[in-house]
Amino acid sequence: MSAVAVDGVWKFYGDYPALRDIRLEAAPGTCLALIGRNGAGKTTLLRIIAGFSRPGRGHVRIFGGEPRDTATRRQVGFLGHGISVYDELSAIENLTLYGRLYGLADPARAARQWLERAGLARVANGLVREFSRGMRQRLAVARAFLHEPRVLLLDEPFTALDDKAIAVLSGLLREALASGRTVVMSTHQLREALELASHVALLVRGQLAFHGASTPEMAADPGLVYARYGEG
Amino acid sequence: MGEGVLYYIPLGGTAALAAATALIASIGFLRTRDFRFDALASAASETVLAFLAAGIVSGCSVVHSAAGKWWTWDARMTAALICWLLFATCLMLRQAVEEPSRRAAFAAVWTIFACLDVPLVVATAAWWKPGPTLPIDWTWPRFGLLAIMAIAGGLFTAARVRRPEPSHPERAG
Amino acid sequence: MGFLRQAGVVAAKDLRAELRTKEAINSSLAFALVILLMFSFAFDPLADTTREISGGLLWIVFAFAGTLVLNRSFTRELPNDCLDGLIAAPVSGAALFLGKACASFLLVLGVQLVSLPVFGIFYNVPWTRQFPELLLVLVLGTWGLTVVGTISSALTVNIRLRELMLPMLIYPILFPALLGAMQLTAVLVAGNPIGPGDFGWLKMMVGFDAIYTAVSLALVETVLVS
Repeated sequence: MSAVAVDGVWKFYGDYPALRDIRLEAAPGTCLALIGRNGAGKTTLLRIIAGFSRPGRGHVRIFGGEPRDTATRRQVGFLGHGISVYDELSAIENLTLYGRLYGLADPARAARQWLERAGLARVANGLVREFSRGMRQRLAVARAFLHEPRVLLLDEPFTALDDKAIAVLSGLLREALASGRTVVMSTHQLREALELASHVALLVRGQLAFHGASTPEMAADPGLVYARYGEG
Repeated sequence: MGEGVLYYIPLGGTAALAAATALIASIGFLRTRDFRFDALASAASETVLAFLAAGIVSGCSVVHSAAGKWWTWDARMTAALICWLLFATCLMLRQAVEEPSRRAAFAAVWTIFACLDVPLVVATAAWWKPGPTLPIDWTWPRFGLLAIMAIAGGLFTAARVRRPEPSHPERAG
Repeated sequence: MGFLRQAGVVAAKDLRAELRTKEAINSSLAFALVILLMFSFAFDPLADTTREISGGLLWIVFAFAGTLVLNRSFTRELPNDCLDGLIAAPVSGAALFLGKACASFLLVLGVQLVSLPVFGIFYNVPWTRQFPELLLVLVLGTWGLTVVGTISSALTVNIRLRELMLPMLIYPILFPALLGAMQLTAVLVAGNPIGPGDFGWLKMMVGFDAIYTAVSLALVETVLVS
C-alpha cells in the first residue's frame, strides 16, 4: 500500500483549475520532493493531501485512509508556512498541548524530549512571543515531529530557516527516512531537497510534468529537471 | 381595511416557499457539492428578500390606512422584518467571501441557520406581541392570488439563477 | 482520545491564552461599562420606567460586549497559522467547536457577572433577590449567544470585514433567544420570580440552545474544511 496516493485530483478556484488531474504516489520510506515555480500548485496540492481543503475531483489516500479521518491525521505531521504555535504560551505548553491533541500517553515527557532535540530545553518555559525567528522555527519542527508521524508533509521547510534550524531539520528528516517514515516536501530549494529526495514530482501550472525517481544527475544539476520537463 | 386586497398574504406565502426552496437547495449543495444547488439557493434567497420586502410594504400601507401611522410593532410585521434581515445577512455573507467553493459552502450553512430560525422568530414575535395584528383572509380569491404570486416568484427565481460556477470547459468534462 | 476530553483540551488552551493576555475580556468589560454609562444619558437610570426596561438594556449590553469576546474565538488562531495546527490535529471539528464555545461561554459569563453589580448600582435594581433564577437565564441566554457567535467566528475568520460581519450575522438569528432573555431578566431584576406565564420563554431559550448547538456541531466541519 502506498503511504500517500493522489488519484485524479483537480482543484478549482471558481473557473480556474489550480490543479489538473494529479496522479502520484509515495511509497513508504521514501522522500518525494514536489518542485515547481511559484504558483505551480505545490502548496495547494500539499494542503489537499494534508486534509486542509477538499479536491474538486479525485481523491487522496494516506495508508489507504481518508486525510480527514482522525486515525489518519494521527499519523501525519504537517509543517506549513506558519509555525502553528501560540505566541502567548510557552514552548513546553505548546508542545504539551499538541501532545494531548495527538493523544500521546505522556504529553509532558514527549514535549520535554522534543524541546531537548530541537535545542530549546533552556527556554522551555519562555513565551514563544519572546523567541527569535530561528527558535520559533525549531519549535515548529518539534511540533511537527512530536507525535512520531508515519507521514511528514512539509511546505517549503527550508525557506527562511537559519543554519541551526536547517541542521536540526535535515537531521530529523534523515532519521525519519531511515526509520521507514515517508516524507513529502514541497520546495524551491532543489539542492537541499534533492540531497534527501528519493523521488521527484515537477508541477508546471497545476499539471504533473514529471514524476519519478531522482537520479544522481538531478542531484548534481538541479536545474536539469526544469530544463528537461518544465518550461525552463 | 375594507375591500382592500391583502397582498401581503400571497407575497408572504411566496417568500415562505422561496425560503423552503433555499433551504432544500442549501442542503442539496452540502451533500453533492453541485454548484447548481448553490445558484438555486442564491436566487431563492433573493426571491425571499424581494417578496418579503413587498409584503412588508403592503403591510405598512394596510397599517397606514387603518391607523394613520406607517409601522406597528405587531407579531406579523415584526416577524417579517426579522426574517427579512435573516436572509439579507445570508446575501451579505455571500458578498464577503471571495472564493466560490467557500462562498457556496458558507452561504449554505448560514441559509440553513436562517431557515431554522424562521419558525422560532414567528413564534417569538407572536408571544411578544399577542395583541391585534394584520388580518389574514383565507377565502378562495386569496389562494388564487397566492398561486399567481408563487408562479411569479418561481419566474423571478429562475431569472435570478446565475450560470452556476464553474463554467471552465475542463470542469464540465 | 474522547470527544469531551479533546474539547476540554481546546477550552483549557483558549482560557489559558486569554487569561494571560486579557485582551478580549478587558475590552469587553470596558465596552459594557461604557454602554451602561451611555444608556444613563438616554434614560434616567433611577426612574421607574427605566427599571421596567432594565432587562432589555442589560441584554443589549451583554450582546454587544459579548461579540468582542466571541470574535476572538477563532481570530486568536490566525497569528502563526495556528488554525492549521488545530485542523491538522486528530480532533474533530465538533470537538474543536465545543471547546472554543465553552471557553468563550465562561469568558462572556465572567464579563456579565462583573457588569451585573455595576448595573445594579447605577440603575438601583434589586437584582440579587432572584439570583439563582437570574443565573439560569444568564446561562441559557449566554450559551445561545456563544454557540451562534462561535460558529460565526469560524465562518468570518478569513473573510473581508470580519469585525463588521460577525455582529450583522448573529443578531437577527439571536432574536428569539435575546427576546426570551430580556423578558425573563426584566421580571427577575425587578425582584419577582418567574411565573407560569413565563415558562414559555424558558422553553424557547432551551429549545433555541439545543437546536443551534446541534446544527453547529453538525456543520462546523464544513466551515473549517472547504
